[in-house]
Amino acid sequence: MEEKFDCIIVGGGIAGLSAAMTLARADARFLVIERGEFCGAKNVSGGVLWGSDLARLVPEYWNDEAGFERYVSHRRLTFMDEQSAFSVDFKSDHFGETPYTGVTVLRAVFDAWLAGKVQEAIDASAHPDESFLATDILVEEVIQEDGRVTGIRAGDEVFHSDCVIIAEGVNNLLTRQIGLEKEYVPGDHVAVGVKEVLKLDAARLQDRFQLNGRSGLTNEFVGACSDGVEGGGFLYTNKDSISLGLVLGMNDLRDKGKTPYDVLNGFKAHPVIADMIRDAETVEYSAHVVSTGDIKGMPSEIYGDGVMIAGEAAHLLLNAGKAIQGMDYAMRSGILAAETAIEAKKSQDFSAAMLGNYRKALENSYVLQDMRSFQDAVHLLHRQEMFSTVPDLICDFGRQFFTVKSEPTPKASAMMRAAIKRHASYWDLVKLGFKGATAL
Amino acid sequence: MSERSGLTVAERLGMVNYRNQGRSDARAHIEVDTDICNSTCPHKCTTRVCPAKCYTLDEQGNVHFQFEDCIECGTCLYACDQGAVTWRFPHPEEGRGVNWTLG
Repeated sequence: MEEKFDCIIVGGGIAGLSAAMTLARADARFLVIERGEFCGAKNVSGGVLWGSDLARLVPEYWNDEAGFERYVSHRRLTFMDEQSAFSVDFKSDHFGETPYTGVTVLRAVFDAWLAGKVQEAIDASAHPDESFLATDILVEEVIQEDGRVTGIRAGDEVFHSDCVIIAEGVNNLLTRQIGLEKEYVPGDHVAVGVKEVLKLDAARLQDRFQLNGRSGLTNEFVGACSDGVEGGGFLYTNKDSISLGLVLGMNDLRDKGKTPYDVLNGFKAHPVIADMIRDAETVEYSAHVVSTGDIKGMPSEIYGDGVMIAGEAAHLLLNAGKAIQGMDYAMRSGILAAETAIEAKKSQDFSAAMLGNYRKALENSYVLQDMRSFQDAVHLLHRQEMFSTVPDLICDFGRQFFTVKSEPTPKASAMMRAAIKRHASYWDLVKLGFKGATAL
Repeated sequence: MSERSGLTVAERLGMVNYRNQGRSDARAHIEVDTDICNSTCPHKCTTRVCPAKCYTLDEQGNVHFQFEDCIECGTCLYACDQGAVTWRFPHPEEGRGVNWTLG
């Protein structure tokens, strides 16, 4: 192959497609290589795409029937014990204003739709016949010459480019191959996500979850849902289905000897969840490794001579208790990597010194700023108390507070003191509360 | 809560759309050196953490692996800290692996 692309993007997921869209708009010549039969065929997420970057990539995407499932208008965080659920619940009409700040997605649908939008952008660019979205091709090697990345190899075919954006996802084999990540990465900063998609027709789903038109609910769970394993659960509403799943800390799951599918069965059987998914039929079961958002999980560097790492391949993700942000980080990092490639093209300099601007841009963006400022929250959420003691205590208090007996009622403060006494030491809790207050 | 009944792994995997489903000679994308699992590994964790039950224990407590049910999640890539797992992505034409409908 004689021609040389401005950029080769490995992976047609959200990071890769966001980079591609940015490059197409800048009239660059690029190649996206996706190993799935179509973009999205290999992708799994919870999944909520938070933030508003999608509107930058696809203006007024909300007028498009396809693509996303529902916009998030109703949010809920639920603490669970074996019987009870105590929720913090927020619903607001302001969430209906565009651009939306969160949409639920099913990746095999969403990524395929986004790929279609990228193809439209290619067709409208100055080089419609020189940029390609190639699917069903596995990149086996990133080619380096004198320590500089110059292209990729897929089977017997070699393609060259000025730079390569690796957006291969969390199982980042190519990132490891070029030495930016250790060859073996232990499970310290990753989790196992398991999910079922359950069908429920749109009218029933809207009635059940009090939704209207395209509005949707996101509900995260901590406590009994994970059966003592570090992690939590989620329930997201799609157009005519429910995404229900768990994210379980890899090492804790391993050490506690539990299986993800049994924990998922337990979660589904919880009385609170059973009511939410009644008569909904499971149509797909999926699983995927997911980063936990610990910044120590990032590769040693996310750029090099002729190469940048975007999305979850760079372990860009944050779960600080407010939302699990991974796909929006993929989107922003893909955009920033592509913008860096465009600048590099102008000066014909694809050295690490130049591509280091990608890291700088990411550091200046909300992605790494938030990852850095919420590390304490990430660590707090992984403490054993957060998925056992705290949910148990909260639910115990709720049970006392909301139960009306025909007998004298203690004051709420006395109920709280009693609940604390049953589950934790008061002093430990004060320390934990203080940590929580400063971490968030 | 794990004792409660629910869908089995086999029932769940029955919903998964695999590539080259009818092909008996599909190329394996994951190789497991079960000699390591069955000699020095102290936990044999893959037999529990794998969401697709690709790793199983026989009655003698030996680990067996099959790649056909693999849903490419990557759990064993991270969970195995004994160096027994060689993990690649499946070959698009000759390999197995998933083709998600919803994802």
